[in-house]
Amino acid sequence: MTLRAPGTHRRAIGQRSFWQWRYRHAAAALLLGVALAGASALEAPEVGDNPAAERHMLQLAAELRCLQCQNQTLADSNAPLAVDLRQEIRELIAKGQTDQQIKEYLGARYGDFVFYRPPVQGNTLLLWFGPALLLVGGLLALYITLRRRLARLEAEGVTAELSDADARRAQNLLDEENGESSLS
Amino acid sequence: MAQSRKSLTVFLPLAVFLVLAWFLYKGLYLDPREVPSPLIDKPAPDFRLESLSTPGRIVDRKEMLGKVWLLNTWASWCVACREEHPVLVEFSRTASIPIVGLNYKDTRVDGMRWLAQFGNPYVDSAFDQAGRVGIDYGVYAVPETFLIDKQGVIRFKQIGPVTPELLQNTLVPLIQRLNG
Amino acid sequence: MPWLAGTALMHSLAVTEKRSGFKVWTVLLAIFAFSLSLLGTFLVRSGVLTSVHAFASDPRRGVFILLFLGVVIGGSLALFAWRAPKVGLGERFEVISRESMLLANNVLFLGAAASVLLGTLYPLLLDALGMGKISVGPPYFDTVFVPLMAPALFLMGIGPLARWRKANLPEIAARLKWAAGVSVLCAIAVPFLEGRWSFLVALGVLVAAWIVSSSLTNLWSRVRPTEGGNIGTKLAALPRGYLGMLAAHIGVAVFIVGITLVKGYEVEKDVRMDTGDTVELGPYTARFSGTSEGTGPNYLYLRGQFDILRDGKVVRTMHPEKRQFVSKSEPMTNAAIATGFTGDLYISMGEPVSKTAWVVRVYYKPFIDWIWGGCLIMACGGVLALSDRRYRLERRSANPSALAGATA
Repeated sequence: MTLRAPGTHRRAIGQRSFWQWRYRHAAAALLLGVALAGASALEAPEVGDNPAAERHMLQLAAELRCLQCQNQTLADSNAPLAVDLRQEIRELIAKGQTDQQIKEYLGARYGDFVFYRPPVQGNTLLLWFGPALLLVGGLLALYITLRRRLARLEAEGVTAELSDADARRAQNLLDEENGESSLS
Repeated sequence: MAQSRKSLTVFLPLAVFLVLAWFLYKGLYLDPREVPSPLIDKPAPDFRLESLSTPGRIVDRKEMLGKVWLLNTWASWCVACREEHPVLVEFSRTASIPIVGLNYKDTRVDGMRWLAQFGNPYVDSAFDQAGRVGIDYGVYAVPETFLIDKQGVIRFKQIGPVTPELLQNTLVPLIQRLNG
Repeated sequence: MPWLAGTALMHSLAVTEKRSGFKVWTVLLAIFAFSLSLLGTFLVRSGVLTSVHAFASDPRRGVFILLFLGVVIGGSLALFAWRAPKVGLGERFEVISRESMLLANNVLFLGAAASVLLGTLYPLLLDALGMGKISVGPPYFDTVFVPLMAPALFLMGIGPLARWRKANLPEIAARLKWAAGVSVLCAIAVPFLEGRWSFLVALGVLVAAWIVSSSLTNLWSRVRPTEGGNIGTKLAALPRGYLGMLAAHIGVAVFIVGITLVKGYEVEKDVRMDTGDTVELGPYTARFSGTSEGTGPNYLYLRGQFDILRDGKVVRTMHPEKRQFVSKSEPMTNAAIATGFTGDLYISMGEPVSKTAWVVRVYYKPFIDWIWGGCLIMACGGVLALSDRRYRLERRSANPSALAGATA
């Protein structure tokens, strides 16, 4: 984007407000995209010809990566490429393409890197199934460890019953009259 | 009473960490933002665009079939392009292969002025004002350069400026091979 | 990741404290928690992953941090490997007991942390092995994290009711019947109250209601009047560690409610508004009343006025601004944010499309501050637990063994 030095815009004669001067081009550019007819006089219409398609596009764009940015989705980013690709997706939706087709279109040009939801394929099997395996494996390992531990303690003669010393201690605690005794 | 556990499992966390550290070390020398092109060894996308210098003329990718050529994306607003431009200008003087420019999201006036100022290594530049052809080629960072063979298949993509080392060590040998 | 490992550590310490068991695992979790925060520093600063905080692409700085990691993490894990086999087994507990539930909780938390680590590092793994370049983003983490944490959240209700050493599952089930019923009812009813039924919202509310109702069930069993005393004395007798646990768990429930309701019912609209136009935002209506201009200390501003109505009455006004600073070429946009207990409103002005009409972006985020509130409550729980008297052993009476088996 070219930066112009401040002050190089000249105010036209007769323009009263700084802000009118500031935005004098914006109106023309934006009117093109704004729905005008059909909306009631008071309830504000959503920007864009087709709000439902717009939302569909943003839904898709939220799972796609902006390649010119540091970790932003295509939906959030204002980078030039992101603006272009959002427009591209709008056009593809208007042409009736399915989500799958749109994703393939972008994948063919930019590779898997552009998907924030990694495709389930050979090199991502570990990624997608790893957590479930970790969970099941972990719980299984815990169960086995606990059983082995019990077996080892039994072998040492540690039983499930309270020892005499512990039983006496418990009785003392219950008899005590300070407010610290717990229930469980 | 001390119990000894299986001595192997206690080393597991350390082993996992060492493997992880190795990957992290390798990762330091990689660029997480570099996106390899899925178009390598695939046919270069077709385009028919107006020429930057001559509005009536059409630059058509099909015209380049039968030749090995370079497609270089550039723009007058692109600072890194200024870095590589002298390399390309020098290369174009002596090289056997044509360089076609893809003027990406620019204006005619700015583009022509830039070429006049920095030199014109291109046989012609295609004027891709909307950036659509750029999207077809997976362009996300200008400058990007594609090496395309006689059958119109992309054989190499450089993301970022073309350096003399890249030219000498990678591109020239590849060009020689593709030329037969 | 450090938070997950730290939470697992905290729960593991409960077992170690009560049963002297699993000391080895507790030590390992302590090492993990610290190592993960060091790893986080490395990942962010070294440039290995894309981050705004990364230093320049020179790998030498990253190598330095990596060496530091090697010394601290590698050293502690090596020490662990050397000394761990010398630690004893500790006391006995059954396979179904409060101890084992706490340990299952650890497995779940560690599993969640490992999954986050896997997702974060996977692109690097593939790239380093030359197996392709992929991105792993929120869609992955959302899909994987929630099913891992759901069992842990379910356990949160059962664990505190389980006995030490040997838990009686049928008894727990009987005690939690009421809590389960209330949770299901809330799960069905709350989405309707918000206007639209949704399965995901129901799930979130189910979990949150489960946590709260099972916590209250537990609390009631401790404070209900018996020959031992009335509610008042029993409440006063509750150890702070126990209150801390209650507060922390309820904080989690509040946090979950916040996330669930925001994701389920947030509204985002880009609308064209002329003077007098309105836009619906959940239960609120925003009406654009026009703009005014003025001068700030070092900027010119254009201020929009939006009246917020609820049931036809104006409840507040919001003033988003556009500010043109002297030193900049583009105006800055100052959004107006209205914070409330039941939700936030956000209004930001875009571009003008006529002398009086503007493109305006508006958000309604219901219950979003409950996310912060939940964390605050969790933190209060932590403070409560820290202030428990049993941690001030020096001031206690002479009988140390009386303390060994005491409390929460």
